Amino acid sequence: MLENFSFRTIVEYLPLFGQGLVTTVWLSLISFAGALAVGIVLSAMNLQRGWLFRVPAKAYIDAVRATPLLAQLYFLYFGLPRLGFVLPELVVGILALSLNSGAYVAEIIRAGILSIPRGQVEAGVASGMTYVQRMRLVILPQAFKVTIPPLLGQAIVLVKDSALLSLISVAELTRAGQLLASDRFMPAEGFITIAAFYLLLYYCLKGLAALSGRWLGLQPARSST
Amino acid sequence: MTKTGMIDFRGVNKWFGALNVLRDITLSVEPREVVVVCGPSGSGKSTLIRCINGLETIRDGDLVVDGQRLGDPATNMTRLRTEIGFVFQSFNLYPHKTALENVTLAPIHVRKIPRAEAEQAGRELLAKVGLADKVDAYPAQLSGGQQQRVAIARCLGMRPKIMLFDEPTSALDPEMISEVLDVMVAVAEEGMTMMVVTHEMGFARKVAQRVVFMDAGAIVESGTPDEFFSHPKTDRSRAFLSKILRH
Ligand SMILES: Nc1ncnc2c1ncn2[C@@H]1O[C@H](COP(=O)(O)OP(=O)(O)OP(=O)(O)O)[C@@H](O)[C@H]1O
Ligand SMILES: [Mg+2]
Repeated sequence: MLENFSFRTIVEYLPLFGQGLVTTVWLSLISFAGALAVGIVLSAMNLQRGWLFRVPAKAYIDAVRATPLLAQLYFLYFGLPRLGFVLPELVVGILALSLNSGAYVAEIIRAGILSIPRGQVEAGVASGMTYVQRMRLVILPQAFKVTIPPLLGQAIVLVKDSALLSLISVAELTRAGQLLASDRFMPAEGFITIAAFYLLLYYCLKGLAALSGRWLGLQPARSST
Repeated sequence: MTKTGMIDFRGVNKWFGALNVLRDITLSVEPREVVVVCGPSGSGKSTLIRCINGLETIRDGDLVVDGQRLGDPATNMTRLRTEIGFVFQSFNLYPHKTALENVTLAPIHVRKIPRAEAEQAGRELLAKVGLADKVDAYPAQLSGGQQQRVAIARCLGMRPKIMLFDEPTSALDPEMISEVLDVMVAVAEEGMTMMVVTHEMGFARKVAQRVVFMDAGAIVESGTPDEFFSHPKTDRSRAFLSKILRH
């Protein structure tokens, strides 16, 4: 089998893979920024005591987590034009990834905020801070540290999920593998190569997670209560 | 006309579900007065002082603090809280801030005092509680007694009219208790209005004008420290004192 494996073809297609990799990286970056924005808004809504914001946020998060990303992607890809929004594939893809990942990010942020001991809130309240001051000065800086590692985990998931955009013909990394597979009938070469590139991205993000862990470890631990 | 204290409970009741945690509390604390609150666990001591700065809300009766009725729409609770320092049993320092930042955070952001001025005052306060050399330390790098002294300095940084203490020494190792009590004595001697939940008799005898004994949500007895500790009037207070004196 191995004698049939064509490294030459892979090398020949490297520029295409390179372009796909670059596209995957930047569309993931934009989508993750979008997911952070969506997640921050959703978690803020979800933490409200009144139901007016909380219930829609919870419903949205449940809906996203309960349905396949592929279904969500097709819903946007085929559904939006029907509603009169004709958008480029790439934009639809980034939108889908942001809206999907945002639901998970929202839960990560909410868990981070809820992990801050009640006494921290009370200390802020007792010194006359408003809700916004308490959040900004006391709760969020502490929650931020707790959420970095799981957020990077979510970023890894997002990079892998971005492969689905190949199905709406976005020229990202998986699409490059598909092209090699279908043009030259070399699925092994095509998909092993993209696997290697995904592994590379995975290790980059893992390295970042380790670095951030070490950086966060430099800060003193929370005081015992 | 009824005279108004700095803190005035008039017929205050509070429930947690079916539990009547505060029963018909009437108590007035004068300016510059130091009142020690004691009683068995679960008797409602923490709840009593937490009502004063609105960490808990009351169900009925009147609670007037510094001339402002709590629960009144005209009372700005956030503003009122800046006049009331609260020292927690578990310190609740901000772990991501240094000792000095813990002290200056609320003065800068709530009182809107210029940073340089707040830091100057913060350093002086930390020196006053004996922590001049710990200005840049994080809470995790401090002992319990040091953390609690920072917490007291954090309250003083707001220049409050009232200081409330909820068992400030009961989370501390015995050898650290006196360093915290000494700071509290100094604060009391400067004329601060204080309500202190504690079982430290030495502190009560030294600075308190009054000891209030609570049981099952009610004030059962109140008197000068000497009256209370030497001649308790009720069976419940005698039983309680014999327990805290045994160890
Ligand atoms: N948030 C709450 N919800 C329900 N019950 C509560 C709550 N906080 C306190 N309680 C109950 O109210 C009663 C009074 O509590 P409180 O903390 O005021 O007592 P305490 O005198 O301070 O006791 P301790 O010496 O143990 O601190 C207790 O029975 C307690 O279980
Ligand atoms: Mg208590």
